[in-house]
Amino acid sequence: MLPASLVARLRAVVGADGIVDRPEALLVYECDGYTLERAAPEVVVLPRTPAEVSAVLRVLAADHVSFVPRGAGTGLSGGTLPIGAPVMIGTSRLGRIETIDVRNHRIVAQAGVVNQWVTNAVRAHGLCYAPDPSSQPACSIGGNIAENSGGPHTLKYGVTTNHVLGVELALPSGELVTLGGAVEDRPGYDLVGLVVGAEGTFGIVTRATLRLVRVPAAHRTLLAVFDSVDAASEAVSGIIAAGIVPAALEMMDRLIVQAVEAAFKVGLPTDAGAVLLIEIDGPAAGLDAHAARATAVCRTAGVREIRVARDEAERAALWKCRKRAFGAVGRLAPNYCTQDGVVPRTRVPEIVRHIAAVAARHRLRIANVFHAGDGNIHPILLFDERDRDEVARVRAAGREILETCVALGGSLTGEHGIGVEKVAEMPLLFGPDDLVAMTRLRAVFDPEGRANPHKIFPDAKVCVETRVPRRQAAV
Amino acid sequence: MTDWAALVGPTWVASGGAADAVDGVVPARVVRPGSLAEVQTVVRAVAEHRQALVASGRGAHLDMGAPPARLDVLLRLDRLTRVVDHQAADMTVTVEAGCPLAALGAALGSAGQWLSLDPPRPEETTVGGLVAANLSGPLRASQGGVRDLLIGLRVVNADGAVVAGGGRVVKNVAGYDLPKLHVGALGSVGVIVEATFKVRPRPPVEEAVVVACGTAREAAETALVLRDSDAAPLWLQVAGAGGLPEGPGEGAAAVVGLGGIAEEVADARACVERVGASLGLRTLFVTDGAALRARLGAFAVEPAAAVLRAATLPSEVGSVMERLAATARERQTVVRCLADAATGVVRAALTEVLAVGPLVKTVRPDLERHGGTLVVERAVPDAKVGVDVWGDPGPGLRLMRSLKAAFDPGGIFSPGRYVGSL
Repeated sequence: MLPASLVARLRAVVGADGIVDRPEALLVYECDGYTLERAAPEVVVLPRTPAEVSAVLRVLAADHVSFVPRGAGTGLSGGTLPIGAPVMIGTSRLGRIETIDVRNHRIVAQAGVVNQWVTNAVRAHGLCYAPDPSSQPACSIGGNIAENSGGPHTLKYGVTTNHVLGVELALPSGELVTLGGAVEDRPGYDLVGLVVGAEGTFGIVTRATLRLVRVPAAHRTLLAVFDSVDAASEAVSGIIAAGIVPAALEMMDRLIVQAVEAAFKVGLPTDAGAVLLIEIDGPAAGLDAHAARATAVCRTAGVREIRVARDEAERAALWKCRKRAFGAVGRLAPNYCTQDGVVPRTRVPEIVRHIAAVAARHRLRIANVFHAGDGNIHPILLFDERDRDEVARVRAAGREILETCVALGGSLTGEHGIGVEKVAEMPLLFGPDDLVAMTRLRAVFDPEGRANPHKIFPDAKVCVETRVPRRQAAV
Repeated sequence: MTDWAALVGPTWVASGGAADAVDGVVPARVVRPGSLAEVQTVVRAVAEHRQALVASGRGAHLDMGAPPARLDVLLRLDRLTRVVDHQAADMTVTVEAGCPLAALGAALGSAGQWLSLDPPRPEETTVGGLVAANLSGPLRASQGGVRDLLIGLRVVNADGAVVAGGGRVVKNVAGYDLPKLHVGALGSVGVIVEATFKVRPRPPVEEAVVVACGTAREAAETALVLRDSDAAPLWLQVAGAGGLPEGPGEGAAAVVGLGGIAEEVADARACVERVGASLGLRTLFVTDGAALRARLGAFAVEPAAAVLRAATLPSEVGSVMERLAATARERQTVVRCLADAATGVVRAALTEVLAVGPLVKTVRPDLERHGGTLVVERAVPDAKVGVDVWGDPGPGLRLMRSLKAAFDPGGIFSPGRYVGSL
């Protein structure tokens, strides 16, 4: 139990409305989008400014208390699970967009600013913030930075780290340090690049300078229907081999197509083996030529049908299928859990076949919706929380899929992070020397190991309440 | 004393000479390991004897940074030249540190791909040097820099252990992004032995258009209009007076590279011409865009007493170029400037050794006050005397010192060359 005097000091910093400590109110904070494990913090602190974040951390530093940062709670790897950390620091009240520099394509946003707000704020100037995870109406910039979030458009535009020029970081000591900034090429180590994706283990990012990009002048959005995942995968490889870099190349398998169709009634063929969403963007001039080549590749791969969005409304409808696919999965089973492995793009057919085999062996249903162009798979393992045995099989199947991703030359996670979920699998990917180097790096920022402890690295895991979920991820 | 010949074979050890000097500091030995295991052995031997090493490829960029405080071994990696794995359909390549970019480019080119980084001297620039010195060229405007294309790295650390970060897939957030630690670190925290990059399809057509302008300021403004136009520049440079190796007249120019399939490039060219006409500026079409790009990229390494690299916001490029020119005039000397309009990086070449220090001291404080930086990117050793090569690395310096101490506690990797005398 935290001493009452400590909570009083925190209350003095953030005000009474910035402290959550009633047990029923804390229930909201006991998990994020990863619902297989839960742990409630003793207190949630909601600072309003970067200075308050600093002051809160100074209070904690004085007593050597560990803490967990939390953005919008949409993370999918349990990165905000308070294990061995009694205090959670939420950034939701750090919601200001501070400056917009249209001429230089820069914006400065506080950590709690929602991803979608950034683009909304600059859209009128023909600009946008490129990283667009499916949770973009809810997820925060601070959370995106912690996880180095991706999204469907990373194939062409890159992930969060490619768009963050500077951060203000509140170190666990409470010191606020500005790293990088609006000007590129600052001499010295790329500390910004190290902070992005550190999953909140270096401290708390309080504000960030982001790079904006021009909204593409035009799009061609195609929906290609195939009889099998293999045929669709062949088309993906063919498109890449043809020298086309689509803005997005997304695949949905039969289970997902059926769920999406049941939910949104957009006229998708429910007997299709796989559907490929292909988007090509840029100046209008070459788009038809690129689209024609992509279409030709799909025909060679045996495409059954190709639909082309004729206007923005049709384009939005096609994207709605993809971005809300996870929501539609709720129709298939009471619960689900999503994996985030990566394989080299050419190994997509193999991993998809492996997933089918794993599903059969463990008597599970697994749906697939993924970033095919990046080789970033998202198998969705369906289950019913009331079936304890099925929950255990879901865990075993998830691990087998990740093992195979690594064996195929891939990675444990493409955009969701290690969090608590994949801690045990880290040694599959990294040897002892690699992990030692990472822990050395962590100690530079957080010598006492108080920022988001027990994440990323395998260690003697502290007792955490593991139980079946009661509700679903909101992604 | 270390018996280097026993470690790497007598053929691959030599006494250091003037040609091996790093900023005038001559190493006692030049050692050229032939395998990863030999690199580890050499690093362990250096560490054991509390010596210092500078890792090098073909030595093309050793004039960057401050002179080393100590130097016993020049560790040349030019025997590690394999393209380990090029998966064209995955658009990735894994390559050993000593492989020259020209050779890598040839291997990728056969698949219609390129590593879209174009630093000068590709025959003499190795992959390890590319990463360690964070080199780039005009393509950075649209393709990003090393940090954006590097997806995996293998490094020999101060214990002699091989540490891997990242991987071979294009999207990967497992563990910390260790490769970023080594980008631009000038080998101060480890010896890079292998790197994996994202590669891209090379545009089949590349052209360029020179837009002639009266002043650098006008050229910089024009460049920003082009940046935001449907020309979608592949690269975008601003040349001050005399900054362009060839072009219309002696004045400044905005130079835009256009790439893609034929119809895209034709459309982009028409777009640039429309922009030029609307601003009342003359445009000159260049068929071989790649050749012009290479000549512009070579600006950073052409013979000069020093090349300064100022970084500013894209909107300030014109005024920074004018300020550099005006300051030089006050000192009765001349600078030639070339800038990347998209990234805000301005390079200024000086011919007079004695002008370097005063120019840096005059221009740097104002730049730093406005969030910019000024680095002496390259210089002859005499021009670095009494000059702070790096300037203020900013409030992150304390963390950088801790980083260096954590990854190179014995100070064996390039001591003194990096920011803050690290």
